[in-house]
Amino acid sequence: MKQYVYCLTERMNDLPSWRGVAGSSVYALEVDKFSVFASDFFGEHVRIDRENVLAHAAVIQQVLNHTTPLPFKFGTLVTEQQLDNYVSATREALQSKLALVRGCVEMNVKIISSREPARATASGNEHETPGTAFLFEKRREIRGEEERAAEAIEIAAWLEAQLGDIVWETQINPNRLDTLLVAVAHLVRREAVEEYRARLKEARHERPELHFLISGPWAPYSFANIDLEFKTHFGVS
Amino acid sequence: MSFEQIIVSGNVESVEETELSLLETLDHVLNRGLVIAGEITISVADIDLIFLGLNVMLSSVETAQEVLRQREKKAE
Repeated sequence: MKQYVYCLTERMNDLPSWRGVAGSSVYALEVDKFSVFASDFFGEHVRIDRENVLAHAAVIQQVLNHTTPLPFKFGTLVTEQQLDNYVSATREALQSKLALVRGCVEMNVKIISSREPARATASGNEHETPGTAFLFEKRREIRGEEERAAEAIEIAAWLEAQLGDIVWETQINPNRLDTLLVAVAHLVRREAVEEYRARLKEARHERPELHFLISGPWAPYSFANIDLEFKTHFGVS
Repeated sequence: MSFEQIIVSGNVESVEETELSLLETLDHVLNRGLVIAGEITISVADIDLIFLGLNVMLSSVETAQEVLRQREKKAE
């Protein structure tokens, strides 16, 4: 039997009992200085289906109602020993992440362009060989990607200026799709969520050519990853 | 459970909102979060959401665009 893990928090006590993935009871394991929310899992694989995905998200969302957790990715199965090893190896990084997200929630904005994406056109050269045509096509593709990346950076900067100091931390993911320009995750203090929504609502009117998909509050999924450093005899790699 | 706000440039109807909530949830739980190396074991066989596991972002955008198209049609 393994443990299915949902999220990790600073030590917590007296929590209600919840149902998690595959209908199992969720409990809090005390690991080092942390509480890890987990449930027993009998099997080798976790199925990605509507029930399991929503159960995973629901446990994290319920913990979020009490404190800000660091969520584990869906499908994480571990033994207690593996969990102990992971926590002791990453203790400082986890503490530092928890300090960063304390009192905050994640808000997401996906910005979609309403313009039709530019389509590649022929170069007009009737003597163009297939090889040349391929290279022209490639060049147009690269230029298009560069333009979209520049536009995404400009929009993210504009958005940050609109939101001002209520955003604690930002993650920007420029996208390669034709119409989704950028996905931005903002870490926002809980008490500032209403203000955040109000500022976004105002900002939307300034850019009618863009569509905004706004969601949240979420646990800080986009701010949970830790970059591991492997210390060796030769330094840090 | 409730995901408080999913807004596509304004209000969306409840069915669309539910669908977007699920897509956004998938985007979060499958793509982000703490990773314990080598310990994610998932199966995606015989389910209706398999396409989302492969490219959640793409699906999210397509759904969002569909919502926008429907809104524009209604406004005409």
